Amino acid sequence: MTSFALAETSIAEAARRRKRRRRALVWTARALTLLVILGGWEFFADKKIVDPFFYGQPSGIFDQLKKWVEHGTAYGSIWLQIWVTLKEALLGFVYGVAGGVVFGVALGQVRFLADVLGPYIKIVNALPRIVLGSIFFVAFGLGTTSKVLLASVLVFFVVFFNAFQGVREVDRNLVANARVLGASRWQVIRNVVLPSALVWIIASLHVAFGFSIIGAIVGEFLGAQKGLGLVIATSQNNFNPDGVFGAMVIIGVIALTAEAFIEQLERRLLAWRPPSPTESGLA
Amino acid sequence: MLQERPTTAQDPADARIELEGVTKRFLTPAGEPFTALYDVNLVVDPGQFCAIVGPTGCGKSTTLTLVSGLDRQSAGVVRVGGQPVDGIARGTSFVFQADALMPWKTVLGNVAMGPIFHGVPKKTAHIAARDWLRRVGLAGFENHHPHQLSGGMRKRVALASALINEPSILLMDEPFGALDVQTKAIMSNELLALWEQTRPSVIFVTHDLEEAIALADRVVVMTVGPGTVKDVYEIDLPRPRGAVQEIRFEPRFLELHQQIWESLRDEVERAYARMAGGSR
Repeated sequence: MTSFALAETSIAEAARRRKRRRRALVWTARALTLLVILGGWEFFADKKIVDPFFYGQPSGIFDQLKKWVEHGTAYGSIWLQIWVTLKEALLGFVYGVAGGVVFGVALGQVRFLADVLGPYIKIVNALPRIVLGSIFFVAFGLGTTSKVLLASVLVFFVVFFNAFQGVREVDRNLVANARVLGASRWQVIRNVVLPSALVWIIASLHVAFGFSIIGAIVGEFLGAQKGLGLVIATSQNNFNPDGVFGAMVIIGVIALTAEAFIEQLERRLLAWRPPSPTESGLA
Repeated sequence: MLQERPTTAQDPADARIELEGVTKRFLTPAGEPFTALYDVNLVVDPGQFCAIVGPTGCGKSTTLTLVSGLDRQSAGVVRVGGQPVDGIARGTSFVFQADALMPWKTVLGNVAMGPIFHGVPKKTAHIAARDWLRRVGLAGFENHHPHQLSGGMRKRVALASALINEPSILLMDEPFGALDVQTKAIMSNELLALWEQTRPSVIFVTHDLEEAIALADRVVVMTVGPGTVKDVYEIDLPRPRGAVQEIRFEPRFLELHQQIWESLRDEVERAYARMAGGSR
């Protein structure tokens, strides 16, 4: 090997080593952070400096989770509660996203529609939408329908505004080019408007899924026969903070898993994008 | 012209472009009326390569949007093949100044767009697109995305996607304006070679006079806004022209350049004075 090639391989080798070392360091620091928080919580709760009656205790939360897994909750197995909440959140997510995209693209495309409906959408968006949960509860009762509706309303607005903005930001040049090449209005939407709005829409999905879980949990809180929201409400009424935190841990795991799926989707749908320097740094 | 002219998809007589007393007025974003073109009269014969030169903001690009049907004139008539232009017509292709490739489509997908929009089955369109990519020298790049290509290569893709529709009229708005000098020269040569194959009527907008003379049969000088036709020059340099880098040193080229520059210089100076804040 020439000294030139040697120098190049050694540089690549060094960069790889640096990257490995950095990753190990990041993970160690993450583990330490968790240890300090949980350990500190447990320690102060043990010493009664933080009252476990109000704020729970990591060991108590762990015991609670174990109990749920082994003996189930008052409303059936914990897996059933998770499934019910997840189903409501997912359905709400799907309906909300579909509605948001359709309305966002339609209003983004048809100026007249946007001008007419714009103020009303702003008014509805300004209302505290959680309150709608009460109305849905009264109208649709204890079943899943009221939760799905609340979740989809929350999701709708997030996706709608992003889709609308995405459509508005479409490069005029691309539209003109497609038209000259012979595209009909529908072909322009399908081939130019939707793909370029997709960047905005997908960015909104991260927030939207969080909202769909909030919708489902709050809906269950207001009145339900099953679900994690009900488990939380019951724990609260029994002065059982470990139960509340335990349900929070479960929800956190669900949200993180969903986030991973959305990231996968994003990577697949936006594979055409040039890699940006900030993204490669975060991985 | 006595050269053999390969037939295009359309009847060559369809490829005559006429502008008669064309005026175009806009409202500026502030609501002020603004006249971009005033009383433009221009004829481009079928199969002719016509270059429009003029200072920045003289309505060169506006002329193209009117011929393409993307926009409508305020007064006068624009005719293509004897018919008044009414919306976007098949047989007209446009190469834009800025990149107009879909970044989410592959090179092949971008080139195949035209035929697919016209209802050609995807498979057939892809076969045609591969053929055009080979003609513009991009075989092997079918599955790349636009951002992976250089500026010159992206222009080739844009050319292929415009020519695949077999236009009888090709409109080009400073297509090579953003390229470096060497790439621009190479692209100009290739454009001429491709044009000789199908001979569409071309309107080529540029502010580079050398480029205009090297490429065109006819050079139109426009006045600074409101734009109108100031002078028309026939370029009698023989075809095929060969390398545009070399034709620049021929005596006839220099002579024409001298003549047209005389006419263009006033407009450029006036435009510059206006931009620098001088009075009208």
